[in-house]
Amino acid sequence: MHIVLPHDASLDGHLVDGVIGYLTLTTGLAFLAVLVFLLIAIVFHRERAGRTRAHHTHGNRPRDRALTFAVALVMFVAIDVTLAARAAGELSRRFWHYPESDPNALRVEVTARQWSWTFRTAGPDGRFGTGDDVVTLGELDVPVGRPIYLKLRSRDVVHSLYLPSFRTKIDAIPGSTTRLWFQAQEAGRFEIACAQHCGVSHYKMRGLLIARPEGEYRDWLARAETDSRLRGEATLPAAGEATGGWDWETGR
Amino acid sequence: MTADPSDGIGDPSGGIGDPGDGHADDQEIPPEPVGLLRRRVFSTDHKVIGKQFLFLGLSFLAVGGIMAMLIRWQLARPGVPVPVVGRLLFGRAGGLISPAAYTALFTMHGTIMIFFAVTPILIGGFGNFCLPLLIGARDMAFPRLNLASFWTMAAATAVLTASFFVPLGPPQAGWTAYATLSTAIGAPGVGQTLWVVAIYLNGASSVMGAVNYITTVIRLRAPGMTYFRMPLTVWGFFLTSILNALFVPVLAAAMVLLFFDRVFGTQFFVAGTTVGAGGDPILYQHLFWLFGHPEVYILIIPAWGIVSDLLSFFARKPAFGYRVTVYALVGVVILSTVVYGHHMFTTGMSPLLGESFMVLTMIISVPTSLLFANWLGTLWRGAMRMTTPMLFCLGLVFTFGVGGLTGLYLADVVADMYLHDTYFVVGHFHLIMAAALLLASFAAVYFWFPKMFGRMMSERLGKWHFWPTFVSLNVVFMGQLLIGYAGMPRRLYDPSAYDFLRPLLPLNRFISQAAYVLGTSQLIFVANFFWSLFRGQKAPKNPWAVGTLEWTVASPPPHHNFDRIPVVVRGPHELGHPAAWALGKDWLGQDEGPARASADNSADAPPEGPTDRPTEGGA
Repeated sequence: MHIVLPHDASLDGHLVDGVIGYLTLTTGLAFLAVLVFLLIAIVFHRERAGRTRAHHTHGNRPRDRALTFAVALVMFVAIDVTLAARAAGELSRRFWHYPESDPNALRVEVTARQWSWTFRTAGPDGRFGTGDDVVTLGELDVPVGRPIYLKLRSRDVVHSLYLPSFRTKIDAIPGSTTRLWFQAQEAGRFEIACAQHCGVSHYKMRGLLIARPEGEYRDWLARAETDSRLRGEATLPAAGEATGGWDWETGR
Repeated sequence: MTADPSDGIGDPSGGIGDPGDGHADDQEIPPEPVGLLRRRVFSTDHKVIGKQFLFLGLSFLAVGGIMAMLIRWQLARPGVPVPVVGRLLFGRAGGLISPAAYTALFTMHGTIMIFFAVTPILIGGFGNFCLPLLIGARDMAFPRLNLASFWTMAAATAVLTASFFVPLGPPQAGWTAYATLSTAIGAPGVGQTLWVVAIYLNGASSVMGAVNYITTVIRLRAPGMTYFRMPLTVWGFFLTSILNALFVPVLAAAMVLLFFDRVFGTQFFVAGTTVGAGGDPILYQHLFWLFGHPEVYILIIPAWGIVSDLLSFFARKPAFGYRVTVYALVGVVILSTVVYGHHMFTTGMSPLLGESFMVLTMIISVPTSLLFANWLGTLWRGAMRMTTPMLFCLGLVFTFGVGGLTGLYLADVVADMYLHDTYFVVGHFHLIMAAALLLASFAAVYFWFPKMFGRMMSERLGKWHFWPTFVSLNVVFMGQLLIGYAGMPRRLYDPSAYDFLRPLLPLNRFISQAAYVLGTSQLIFVANFFWSLFRGQKAPKNPWAVGTLEWTVASPPPHHNFDRIPVVVRGPHELGHPAAWALGKDWLGQDEGPARASADNSADAPPEGPTDRPTEGGA
C-alpha cells in the first residue's frame, strides 16, 4: 500500500501540499506529546499495591491554570495563527486572486449537469457566443503555462468540479455562478471528478483534463473549432438571468 | 500529599446560581403508577423514558452499523454480490448492491446514526436517566413533556422506516439532503418527503427534551447544588440542551421550507436554468449548517461531560481545573454557533466570509485544547483503576485527539480546497461523531448500567469488547483519513471509476475488514448487555465508590429517586482527599454532611458558607 498525494501538475498545488505537510508535522508532534504523556500516566499512575492514593489536587492553583492555558496558547500560535496568516496571504495573492483582466488567461464556461461536464471556450476569435465557440463534453483542453479561468454553473443539482492533480475544487450551483482558476505546469491527461453527491450516477461523473503545450493547444483548437458539434447543445436558455454579472457570453 | 489551599472540602462553590432557592426542596413525591402500560410504556418516569431512549438508540445503532458494513462491502468488492444477506436484501439485483441501493445506504446510515442512534442514546437515554438523579431531583421538570418527547421520536422512527417501503425507494440525497438534489428535481419519490417529515419530528422531540432539561437544571437542583457543584455530565447535558433549543428549530425551518418545495411547489431552494426558478440552493446549506455545526457539539458536549467526570472518578482524583473545563465548554458552545461556514468553503463564498469562518473555526481550538489539557491533568499522578468504563474513556481521549487535530486541516481554506468532500472529511468526523461518541456511549452504559438495571455488567466481557472495538475503530477511521489524503471523494459507488483511485483498492479492502471486525465485536457487547440484564451480579448502591448523588440511592433507584432530597455540601469529584482517608475510604459524597466536620478534624471551625451547613430536616 502506497498512500501518496496525487501527482501535482499545477502552479500552486505545492502551496496546498505545503500546508498539509506543515499540519501533519505540527499536529503529529502535538499528538506524539499527548501520547507520551498518556502512556506515562497509564503505566506509572495506576492503582496497584504501593500506589493506592492519588495525588489530591483540583488543578485550580494559578500555576495549574497557567500550565493549561500555556498548552492551549502554544497550540493556538504554533498551528492556528500561523496557518491562518499563511492561508490569508496565499488566498489573497494566489487562489482568490482571479485573472480577471489577464489577457493571457484562457476563459472557460463550465456547465455541470447530471452526470456530465460541458466545457465551452471562445474559440480563435476570443469571443463567446459566436460561431467558432468550442464546446467539449467531459473533456477540458487547456494550454500549459497560462492561467485557466473557469466560471461554473449547474443545470440541475449541486456538483463540484474537483481536480486532484491541481489540488482544488469548486462547487457548481444551480442559480449562481462560481469561479475557479488554476494553471497547468506540465502537459498530460488528468482526471476531473465530481466531489459533491449529485445523484445515483454521481460516481460516473468523470471528466478529463488534457493539458498541451501552447503550440499543440492552438492546433487542437483549430481542429476542434471545425468539428464542435456540441456548440448548440450547451447553450443555456435564460442564462443571463442567473449569471450574476457574467459577461463572457456576449463576448469580450 | 498536600491539598491545594483552595481545596477545602465542602467548598462554598457559590458564585452563580444560588442553591436552595426554595424550588427544589418542595418537590412532592409522585405516586407510583399502577398498570403495566403506565409503568413501562407510557411512563412519565425519567428513568423509564431514559431506558426507552437507550433501547431505541441501541437498536438503530445496530441498523446503522449493518448499513455501514454493507457500504464497506461495496467499497472493498465493487459490484460483487453481498454474501449471506445479499439475496435477502437486494434480491432483485441478484444480491449485489446497485448504485441506487448504495446511495440509499449511505443516506440512511448517516441519518440513522446521527438522529436516531447517537442522539437517543446519549441525550435521550443518559440525559433523561442521569439529570434528575445527578442533581438530586425526583423527576424532570415536565414529566409529561418528557413522555411526549419520546413518543414523538418513536413516530419519527416509524416515518423514517416507512420510507424504505414506498415507490421509487428510500431517500437518496445524503444525510445532508442538499437542495436541489433533495427537491423534486433530484428526488421525485415519496421517500425523500418522508425523510423530511421524520427529521422534523425528530427535531421536535429534541426541542421538547431540551426545554425540559434546561428547566430541570435551573429549577430542580437540590439545596446546595450550585452550578459549580454540578457534575460535568450535568454541565454537558445542560449546555447541549441550550444549543438544541436554539438551533434545532433552524433545522426545522429548513425542513418546513423543503417540505413546501416538495409538496406545494414553492421554490425556496429551487433554482437552475432547467426550471427557471429564483430560489437559492445555498440558502438550504446555510440553514442546514447553521444547525449542523452546533449539532456536532450538541452530540459531543455530553460525551465530553461524561468523560470529564469518569476520568476523575477512575483516576481517583478531582477533575483537574473544573472551572476552566466549565468555561471551556461554555466557550465551545458560544463559538460553535459562528463557525458553520467552514462546511461551505467550496461554494464560492465571499473572501471576507471565508476568511472570517476560517479564523473563528481556529479559535474554537483554544477552549478545546483547555478541555483536553485538563483531561490529561486529571490523569496525571492519579491512581487509575482500569475498569471497563475507564478504558473506553481513555480510548476516547486518544481518538478525540486524532479527530480534533485533523479538524485543523479542514479549517484551513487552502488545505480544504483539496480535502473538502474527500474521505479525509469522512475520517475526521467519524473519529469524533462515531469513534469518540461510541466510546463515550459505551463508557456511559458500562458505568450507569448498575444504577439503571440493578446488576453489574461483566468486566471481563467488557474488556474483551473494548480492545477489538478500540483497535478496529481507529484502523477504520484513520484508514479513511489516508484514503482521503490520497484524494478519494466521498459517496462514490465505485471508486475504480477513476484511474487515480485504483491503487487505493487494497487499503479500502483493509479498512472494510477492520469494519467487519468492528461490527462483529459489538456482539460481545450485546451478549454482555443481555446476560448482565438477567444474570449479572446484583449491584450495590455505589459499586464505583464515587460521590455523586445517583450513587446514594438504591440500584435501581425507587420510583421517586430520593426519599429525602439530599443537601449538597461539596463538588462532585472529592476523590483521594486526605480527609476521606480518615474515614477509611478515598471519596466523599456530595451530600456527606456531618462526616466533613469529623473528617477534617475541625468540628469547631465555623461553616465556610451559609449553604454549607445541611439544614435541619434536609428536604
